[in-house]
Amino acid sequence: MAKEMWVFAEKPALQAELLACAKTLGDAAAAVVLGNQAAVDQAFAQGADKVFWLGEKPDHLLLDDYVPTLAALLKEQKPAGMLVGATRRGKAIAGRLGAALGVTVLADVKKFIAEGDSLQVSHMVFGGAAVRLEKAVTDIMLATVSFGIVEALPPDPSRKGEVVKVAFVEPKWKAVLRERKPRPPSSVNLAAAKKVVCPGRGIAKKEDLEMIFELARLLEAEVGATRPLTEGLDWLPRERYIGVSGAFVKPDLYLGVGVSGQAQHTVGITESRVIVAINKDGEAPLFSQSDYGIVGDLYQIVPALINALKARK
Amino acid sequence: MNIIVCYKLVPDPEDVVAKPDGSISLDQAEWIISDYDLMAIEAAVQLVEANGGKVMALSVGPSQLANSKAKKDVLSRGPDELYLVVDDGLRDADTSLTARTLAAAVAKLGEFDLILTGEGSADLYFQQVGMQLGELLGLPTFNAISKVEWSGGKLAVERSLEDEVEALEVPAPAVLAVTTDINQPRLPSMKEILKAGKKPVVEWTLGDLAVQDGLAQRVEVLSVRSPKQVNRKQIRIEGKPEEAAQALIGHLSKEGVL
Ligand SMILES: Cc1cc2nc3c(=O)[nH]c(=O)nc-3n(C[C@H](O)[C@H](O)[C@H](O)COP(=O)(O)OP(=O)(O)OC[C@H]3O[C@@H](n4cnc5c(N)ncnc54)[C@H](O)[C@@H]3O)c2cc1C
Ligand SMILES: Nc1ncnc2c1ncn2[C@@H]1O[C@H](COP(=O)(O)O)[C@@H](O)[C@H]1O
Repeated sequence: MAKEMWVFAEKPALQAELLACAKTLGDAAAAVVLGNQAAVDQAFAQGADKVFWLGEKPDHLLLDDYVPTLAALLKEQKPAGMLVGATRRGKAIAGRLGAALGVTVLADVKKFIAEGDSLQVSHMVFGGAAVRLEKAVTDIMLATVSFGIVEALPPDPSRKGEVVKVAFVEPKWKAVLRERKPRPPSSVNLAAAKKVVCPGRGIAKKEDLEMIFELARLLEAEVGATRPLTEGLDWLPRERYIGVSGAFVKPDLYLGVGVSGQAQHTVGITESRVIVAINKDGEAPLFSQSDYGIVGDLYQIVPALINALKARK
Repeated sequence: MNIIVCYKLVPDPEDVVAKPDGSISLDQAEWIISDYDLMAIEAAVQLVEANGGKVMALSVGPSQLANSKAKKDVLSRGPDELYLVVDDGLRDADTSLTARTLAAAVAKLGEFDLILTGEGSADLYFQQVGMQLGELLGLPTFNAISKVEWSGGKLAVERSLEDEVEALEVPAPAVLAVTTDINQPRLPSMKEILKAGKKPVVEWTLGDLAVQDGLAQRVEVLSVRSPKQVNRKQIRIEGKPEEAAQALIGHLSKEGVL
């Protein structure tokens, strides 16, 4: 019997990557699509062989309200598995589906390895200090997958395929949506950045980030962050933080400024070609994982770098 | 309101030792309350301070959980009662077994209005257990909760997603996973530390619970190893800021990354 691998992601760009991944794991890739006809066409263009179409989402419903619909569909169709886009909502949906179906949920998979008939996956544990390899043992495998593990295929708008319409299953409970407050859209694509300047807690005040942005402009780099600057301090959007629970980057240059180098952060930068650390503490762990290190006060080093780079232009 | 807060006891990730052969040793590790569960505990305590009721802390795991220092630690952070399922059968439990065990324990706890969990555990950080638990119990279940208020038997919450914040009204009882920035957990006071030793603690083993679908794991762990290390040049640049800046630019331009 043909082995179908499904994907479900709320972000189209992530859906494209998951479809590319699903095609390597099954005989056929199917997308579960919530949206209009254009969204269906898009899924085919991204590589789907089949689309399970949930229709358009009415405004008062949350994506979460589709869990019973998805659970019923998975139960009926029994695909080999479903890759769920690891957005926050995606993680909640995957967990609830796993419990509803009594199947494995593999969280934040970094790599899929097909071993004969079985599928092995790896992900990070202990805050990035270890990689765990494991195997799903239930018939349907659910996995959450984030950006950056597989590249999307070039879109092919001529592709078409079978569309299966799916009826909505009324959930047993619903939350009432009182308000949606959009966050400013962030246009950061750290995973694709060629250079990254990453400020850490060594930055004393939010205003001082201006100097980091100026350095990044001169280097033509994207600005990343360690987690505390985005959660807790809220100085930068969360999309900017790098590490086990954030983005994985693979730039030619990573420049950490006032970053201590905890494993949770540094697992996200190991694929950088050149790593530079600026830190006033000569014992900071990031130094041992760097190619170049300057021990000193960032409030002196960064302005000096800015001047030197300006002089070069 | 009665709140159950789920926390995990984990080997301190900072004590994880990578051995030369690539294997991982936890032998030296101190077992501590998972970082992000401190915010869940604090959120529960603040809600009960504001609305009355009690906080029941709940954790399931291997024998380390029964350590008296670990028990006092959690109780000194404000919960009124502690419930534990201590069983070495729960060492390396997958998210499914953990959630099913928690669900079985919750069934023994009596009336509650809210179950809180952390965002993710410090050792696995799968962000799964709370979501699976909620679905097993058939209750409204949400993650990424950055604000919770209780009024008229309902929960008014804010959910911080990537592109938007949703303000939701959630029927109680519900299961909510809170974000790491929902609050700043307080440090236990001397008074709370002294009180902690006198609070009720109930311990069960797996044999005392009816875990749905038995104790089989859904995931087979094949290996746990330290990630590949890249050897870095580790060149230290000395001198005054201006000299160091020039030297760095020199190196980077030779590397061809400027
Ligand atoms: C489950 C879990 C998941 C996590 N996931 C992530 C993640 O994905 N990403 C992440 O980044 N973190 C993550 N963390 C947090 C992580 O453990 C660290 O706390 C964090 O990375 C540290 O950030 P930092 O280096 O900016 O701050 P600190 O560790 O506080 O380091 C600040 C550094 O700045 C230096 N400094 C101070 N002043 C100056 C100055 N004037 N000039 C030069 N240097 C100066 C100090 O010497 C210090 O080394 C996670 C934690 C947990 C428990
Ligand atoms: N063994 C456990 N006992 C109690 N609560 C747990 C346990 N494991 C996980 N949790 C809760 O579930 C959350 C998510 O855990 P995880 O899915 O492992 O990232 C944690 O923040 C805890 O609140």
